[in-house]
Amino acid sequence: MSRSRLQEAAVHLVLWVAVLFALYPVMWVTTQALSGGGATEGRIIPWPATPSLDHFTAVIGRVTDEGVWLFGLQLLNSVVVSAATALTAIGIATPAAYALSRFRFVGAEGATRTLLATQMFPGVAASIPLYLLLDGAGLLDTRTGLVLVYATSAVPFAIFQLRGAFDAIPRELEEAAMVDGATRFVAFVRVVLPAVRPALAITALFAFMSAWNEFILAATFLTSEDLYTLPILLNRYASEHDSNFGHFAAGAIVVSVPVMLLFYALQRQLVSGLTAGGVKG
Amino acid sequence: MASLSLQGIQKSLGGQPILRGVDLEVATGELVVLVGPSGCGKSTLLRTVAGLESPDGGVVRIGARDVTRLPPRDRDLAMVFQSYALYPHLTVRENLAFGLKLRGTSAATITERTDEVAQMLGLGPLLDRFPRDMSGGQRQRVAMGRAIVRRPSLFLFDEPLSNLDAALRADVRVEIKRLHQRLGATMLYVTHDQVEAMTLASRLVVLRAGQVEQVGPPLEVYARPVSRFVAAFLGSPAMNFLEADLGSGRLRAPGLDVVVPQPAVGGDVPGPVLVGIRAHDVVPAKGARADVRLRVEVLEAMGFEAYAHGHVGDAPFVARLEGDAARGITVGDELGLDVAAGSVHLFDRQTGRTLR
Amino acid sequence: MRRVRPHRAASSVPSGWRVAGPGTAAVLSAAVALCGAAWLAATPSVHGQDARTPVVVWHSYGESEERGLSAATAAFEQANPDVDVRLVAIPWGAYASKLEAAIPVHRGPDVFIDAHNRARAYLDAGLIQPFGALSAEATDDLEPAHLAALTLDGTLYGVPVSVKAGALFVNEDLAAGRPLRALEDLEGLRSTLPSDVFPLAWDADDAYQFAALLHAYGGEMLSLEGTYRFVGREAERACEHLLRLLQTRTIPEETGYELVRDLFRGGHAVAAVSGPWLANDLPADLNYSVRPLPVVRGADGHAMEAYATVEAAMIAAHARSVSASRRVAAFLAGREGSVLRAVEGRHVVASRGAWLDPRLASDVRLRAFREAAAAGRVMSSHRSMHAVFTPAERALRKLLRGDAPIPAALTEGQHRFEDETREPPAARSPVFGLLALGMLLMLGCVSMVQRARDPSFRRDVRASMPAYRWVAHAALAVGVLVIAPLVVGAGTSFFAGHGRDLHYVGLANYIEILTARGGDLLGHGSVWTVLAVTLAWTAANITLHVALGVSLALLLHRPTLRMRGLYRVLLVLPWAVPSYVTALAWRGMFHRQFGAVNAVLVLFGGEPISWFARWTTAFAANVATNVWLGFPFMMVVTLGALTSIPRDLYEAAEVDGASPAQQFRHITLPLLRPSLAPAVAMGAVWTFNMFNVVYLVSAGEPDGSTEILVSEAYRWAFTRGQQVGYAAAYAVIIFLMLMVANRGLARIGQPVGGPGPKAGSA
Repeated sequence: MSRSRLQEAAVHLVLWVAVLFALYPVMWVTTQALSGGGATEGRIIPWPATPSLDHFTAVIGRVTDEGVWLFGLQLLNSVVVSAATALTAIGIATPAAYALSRFRFVGAEGATRTLLATQMFPGVAASIPLYLLLDGAGLLDTRTGLVLVYATSAVPFAIFQLRGAFDAIPRELEEAAMVDGATRFVAFVRVVLPAVRPALAITALFAFMSAWNEFILAATFLTSEDLYTLPILLNRYASEHDSNFGHFAAGAIVVSVPVMLLFYALQRQLVSGLTAGGVKG
Repeated sequence: MASLSLQGIQKSLGGQPILRGVDLEVATGELVVLVGPSGCGKSTLLRTVAGLESPDGGVVRIGARDVTRLPPRDRDLAMVFQSYALYPHLTVRENLAFGLKLRGTSAATITERTDEVAQMLGLGPLLDRFPRDMSGGQRQRVAMGRAIVRRPSLFLFDEPLSNLDAALRADVRVEIKRLHQRLGATMLYVTHDQVEAMTLASRLVVLRAGQVEQVGPPLEVYARPVSRFVAAFLGSPAMNFLEADLGSGRLRAPGLDVVVPQPAVGGDVPGPVLVGIRAHDVVPAKGARADVRLRVEVLEAMGFEAYAHGHVGDAPFVARLEGDAARGITVGDELGLDVAAGSVHLFDRQTGRTLR
Repeated sequence: MRRVRPHRAASSVPSGWRVAGPGTAAVLSAAVALCGAAWLAATPSVHGQDARTPVVVWHSYGESEERGLSAATAAFEQANPDVDVRLVAIPWGAYASKLEAAIPVHRGPDVFIDAHNRARAYLDAGLIQPFGALSAEATDDLEPAHLAALTLDGTLYGVPVSVKAGALFVNEDLAAGRPLRALEDLEGLRSTLPSDVFPLAWDADDAYQFAALLHAYGGEMLSLEGTYRFVGREAERACEHLLRLLQTRTIPEETGYELVRDLFRGGHAVAAVSGPWLANDLPADLNYSVRPLPVVRGADGHAMEAYATVEAAMIAAHARSVSASRRVAAFLAGREGSVLRAVEGRHVVASRGAWLDPRLASDVRLRAFREAAAAGRVMSSHRSMHAVFTPAERALRKLLRGDAPIPAALTEGQHRFEDETREPPAARSPVFGLLALGMLLMLGCVSMVQRARDPSFRRDVRASMPAYRWVAHAALAVGVLVIAPLVVGAGTSFFAGHGRDLHYVGLANYIEILTARGGDLLGHGSVWTVLAVTLAWTAANITLHVALGVSLALLLHRPTLRMRGLYRVLLVLPWAVPSYVTALAWRGMFHRQFGAVNAVLVLFGGEPISWFARWTTAFAANVATNVWLGFPFMMVVTLGALTSIPRDLYEAAEVDGASPAQQFRHITLPLLRPSLAPAVAMGAVWTFNMFNVVYLVSAGEPDGSTEILVSEAYRWAFTRGQQVGYAAAYAVIIFLMLMVANRGLARIGQPVGGPGPKAGSA
């Protein structure tokens, strides 16, 4: 009994050390965000000398000359673009991943290798051709264009992630459904997809985050300030002419809060081990 | 209910022939068991019937319908999988209702039928559970229930008992037999377990390397195997085989000297043959002369009966002895045994076919 | 303006390539229809369709400076009702690449504001057009030196709006009335100050900043003709002086802008050298003054001369209305616009007349910035100017570390500069390349036709039809939006030159890279050395990512663990905060004097370490940062995979007497492998190409030895005269190396991203 107690305590100790490691740099960023202009105090313990929320109120309270609440608008843009990216990426990747997992077809191997290859090419080398492409399609300076770019670049990873999830689902599950009267598509939607829900959630989260934090492509493809996403706003505080690291840090914290909440909300989904019972032993 | 007819089913996977022209007729209400060692193609054959694999050649008919090119859902059959393949995100009730719902059955009918099946299989208390919360036996019953509830014209079973422990397996076996009798359903059942095959089948189909080796009622297949392969596959312990010379009505080999009853062997061609003798087809010799002389090396005494393992000549041999005969033996004895009349199986040494 | 750093992560491939034809457009439209996101079809801000001439002005100002610009343009519109000025603020990080992308396709601004020293690159890229003649009045109002800075090949390419240069910020409370006219005065303060207060906060190991001292000693970075001049007696004397400043602790070590700011605003520095931007970061209650840079007595009393940057309004190529654009630009630069900008946005305006305005004349600090700017030396507009800083800075840091004697370090910097700015390879006739391309296409066609004739292949294709219905849309989307741009990008690797001025050179870029441009194959900057570093970098990171991620996931997966949700959320935090912010925090933590890491070391009795002075420690700092950034990913992937391992397997193993270690070895690992292997493969690829961390944390220090392939590629694209073809060749080489590595791994038996288990289709 006492041995397992000891073990439990050791586990918590290790986890707390890991948490400290994970949090420490974030705490420095937070400290910068909370330092109302004075220097930060101490070298080891991050704590602002004169704590104030000035940076946060400045970042969040930004209003245009026309009285539009810019932060709110750009937050909305970010949410819309990131959520649409996640949905589109999942929508594109899921059927393809399923096919790669279940069908044997001509070109499957080549396609897989090409997908992997896209991840190997230092990506941004393509930003100008991509710009021309979006321009040709009339999608520059639209959220749709940005979503498409984000989503398709998230697709290769999503396909790999989901194919692994489908591989872990026994084929018999959808075969049972097909014998039960389902078409392959119905079996896919009503039986296979629910079984990979955790993987779908995690993949969607990845796609969401890739869009949520990105600003180079967003700043390149968007020109209207009312379409800007939050990271663009954030990066304006790191401008070469007048940088404001306090604003920058506060913005970074603000931008990361929704992601943390999202992960917290999704974690139940991730642990619910749906496939453990019905299909194994 | 409907009959099933397979004609010349061929299938290769990755250039490897799996089925090489299988013909099979299953009459309405029959329970046919497909049996064979792993890799013989029995599961592929079953999946071809289900429509989960499409054959390269041949025709599948259910009743009068040619279903060869139809998807599984249009074949009106149900299948119980080895892993049960229960839908993990659905409760037992939803698992049972899934197929009916897909076919647009009315809610009232669904409730009626699931309740009926739940009662039949004793699933009542489990209806609101998820598969992950149930034992293996319970899941197996749900899988059967899911098949029954649809009232298909044909049931397919793919080794449904192989994930159960031995005691449960015996119970479920009986239950399946009972269900078959009660439903009068046409069933095609795949197993590699000869006990299941023998006990369940109205007719037995032995598959070997993608071809039908023998078809017939189980006892007949057991008694008159067409080949060494079938003979070896059925029966426990497995048949003993010895190489012997046939000449002038006798079979001779070291430790073996049997008179072949006439006219057991057509033509009585002298020469080398393979002799098959089942363990329980021997009795202790009455006198000094014996058909078989067994050196006993291991003895398994089970009370009323005993298995004596040893060698006849150089060939391994098992004999089953009963009653007093079983008790008087000790390891190291050389046991004289007589073979029951008509129980000597002769096979061609090269082809393994039964010599008649 | 602070030195223009190659901060941009977006590349700029020359856009002499037009790929968007009607065909691609149609394909793309189909993709859009597919994702059914019509509701997203956004509304680019459409202003009323009035008769006014629109003039779009792009800038990368922050909020406060933007106010000045808005005030000026509003005044312009009032006076010119026929023109509609639209200001667009673009984050600095995306500014140049966005200009390069947008202007050639007529989606760019009409006027944009940027530093004079970028004008040459913009001209090379065809992004700007001659400004035209200025009125005599305007010419009189502006400094000839500023106009000269914007005159390229005899033509004026912009009109100066503001000037920025480093000035001396003095904390009057700490200075207590001392004159501090010379650098030596500041040195003299050392003995009077407590040890945690520095006489001067100055990031002098930054070559751009150091130039001020170099100029005082009569040296320079680059001659007018573009010759590297950071060598010789003057340079050595300036370096000696800097060494002394560090040795006497007059200035802090390893200083960057953030440290200068923190020290000064925290009262830990009597004075600071910085540009006007520092004023924005200082609290209102700080009692400070701004003065011109001090003189250097050791340099015969010459004053330090910081680089001055002229911010100019330039007319973009393809501006819709050149005359209206010119009017807007001229107004911004003119007296009235300048006064508004200075008053509202605190711009240090270039207009001489503006300073006669009483509001400006009475603004002591703003005037001080102007005086500092006037005392500065306008940076050369030469094409090679950008390429000077990295070699110069590496030399500077090397000699500051004492790794080489001063003359040797400086000479090495010169060699590096000459290597990086060498003439691009000569143009070749594209005939051979086209021939080869044609041959390849033909071979491809022939083999396609042959395969198509094979009946078994045709049967396979027919059998694959149902599968194609599942993958078609993904293939289309990825093909058009991912692969096509990459192929076009790769195509530029056969070209060389600066900006848009490109010519076909065949494989010359590849040959130069693979032969280390004729230098030592294992020497500095050779692709082979960098490859070795990259491999070590990837291996170290992946090992630690997996080890840390899997261990933590296993701990979190313990069935009896309490507070699991809390731990899980806290542990993924590094993943939630944007990495461009946290990487900077890490760099701060590794600072020799002020970093938390050394503070902890000292606390436990260790010696503080100069993390970026040695390869091993700099590399370790990079790895620590990237491990911190990357382990949550592995942890989450592992957690997901662990949930699919049934618990009864462990129970069975426990019954079988397996120890926890054996359970891990025989159950967990094999069952994790399938889900972890692709994640590891992906992680390896991402790490291999992880540009941000190397750039932001060690910045290649010491001596460029911690650069990895991809950061080298970026340097070629941005800081070495925009040799985009060369950078593209680097990218292709990286790509090929990864492909080969993947093939090799697949052969060893690790099915990295290879096709999974398959069976026939129904």
